[in-house]
Amino acid sequence: MSETSVEYFPPTKPWEEFASGVKLIGMRCSHCGTVAFPAREVCSKCGRDDALEEKVLQGPGKLYTFTEVHVAPAGFPTPYVIGYVDMPDDVRVLGQIDGRVADLNIGQDVHLRIGVIRARKDGTQVIGYRFTGEAK
Amino acid sequence: MSSSVYVTGVGMTKFARMPDRSFEEMGREAVRAALKDANIERSAVQEVFCGSALTGRSMGQRVLRDFGMTGLPITNVENACASGSTAVREAATAIRAGRCDVALVLGIDQLSRLGGGTIPGVETDIDPNLGMVMPAVYAMRARRYMHEYGMTREDLAEVAVKAHAAGKHNPYAQFRNEVTVEDVLASRMIADPFTLMMCCPTGDGAAAAILMSPQAARVRGADKIRIVGSSLQSGIYKTGHRDMVHSELTKRTAKLAYEEAGIGPEDVDIAEMHDAFTIAELMYYEALGFCAGGDAVSLLRSGRTRITGDICVNPSGGLLCRGHPVGATGLAQICESVWQLRGDAGPRQVDKPRVALTHCTGGGVSGLDHGSCAVNILVT
Repeated sequence: MSETSVEYFPPTKPWEEFASGVKLIGMRCSHCGTVAFPAREVCSKCGRDDALEEKVLQGPGKLYTFTEVHVAPAGFPTPYVIGYVDMPDDVRVLGQIDGRVADLNIGQDVHLRIGVIRARKDGTQVIGYRFTGEAK
Repeated sequence: MSSSVYVTGVGMTKFARMPDRSFEEMGREAVRAALKDANIERSAVQEVFCGSALTGRSMGQRVLRDFGMTGLPITNVENACASGSTAVREAATAIRAGRCDVALVLGIDQLSRLGGGTIPGVETDIDPNLGMVMPAVYAMRARRYMHEYGMTREDLAEVAVKAHAAGKHNPYAQFRNEVTVEDVLASRMIADPFTLMMCCPTGDGAAAAILMSPQAARVRGADKIRIVGSSLQSGIYKTGHRDMVHSELTKRTAKLAYEEAGIGPEDVDIAEMHDAFTIAELMYYEALGFCAGGDAVSLLRSGRTRITGDICVNPSGGLLCRGHPVGATGLAQICESVWQLRGDAGPRQVDKPRVALTHCTGGGVSGLDHGSCAVNILVT
């Protein structure tokens, strides 16, 4: 596979791979303490833009709810599971989750990994963060 | 509401997949029916408000051009699934502000132009890039509701059964068939736990209403049904935890409409609500105050929300059965409310309703409950 056949989502690749596993990079507003992912140019809670700092989101997250999607836009091979994951510091992250619906339970721990999330029409693989029930 | 606004005429097309019709023609059919119902000439209309979400630009002008209704102020409104009901609120506001006495409100969309499948997400937003689709949003709510309250798949299917039991009597409905719990559960999987028949269909259609000031309605002897509450709110962005089972947005929007109308949920006789997926009807029973949190399945099973019940929900068949051509839905809800309040609803007529509530909410925006929610309350 050539380099040009891969792209990332989000394109800024807001994650880092540590020995302990993948962690997402969000932001924290040092005025009001709000943590958000992905980072943005203004704190959506207090509106300040002058005290935003990078924040490594700790894991694992807890699975709030999920579904198995059977009808999806082109490029998402069905079925696939997506769910909302509540990370520590009150940050919610949506992502695809490995496995089938019967393998998962609300409230369980899920861990980040980097993998394929969809394919473009020309076959380009889109790589991004996703979740798995297996700890690294 | 400081001064009432009267609904003096309504009309709509049948909702269906109609790829061979033009949306302009559908829109004109609804407008002509509403003008005829109000018994007014097109020249009486002073302002037009047109709600649509997915079909095109300048929709009001495109629909009305061949009908010769040109030159007057036309405001096109987009607010996702609440486009039509937002247009109703804008027209009522214009009348109350004294800007006009007679307004035409139109809701229209032609989803068959988009091809099949789910409504396309907005590519610049994060969630659709990760695989989010509208059925998945509600499917996740449903799974969480099952987890918190022990609801079953059969309970979810019962909502669709009830919708068809009413909608089969509605000549404007996209589906006219009765279905059983077994039929619903056996239809193909869309987003677990939703099967196809737990999801509203995509379709085409238009619906319209004539709104008038008290003076204009009185002169014509049409001061019978009035809008006494009309509220619009948007979803609140949360970067962290958000309760997906108890709709804060619908609850907040309904509270404003109830306060304006000076009534409570116990006074509502019929409600046309946004049952885009079966869990939605159950969630919104609670958010609109028809029962306490977690009691929606009991309320459904009690039969009180059927057309024979005292708090009938979706006598038209709702989005699940009547259909959901997105921008047209809010006006179709106004049509059904008016027919029911007049006693003109035929075999699906509810026993002498006096207060009707309409509710639309939608717009998938990452981090929000929904983009928007609109509630209108009508009384006779």
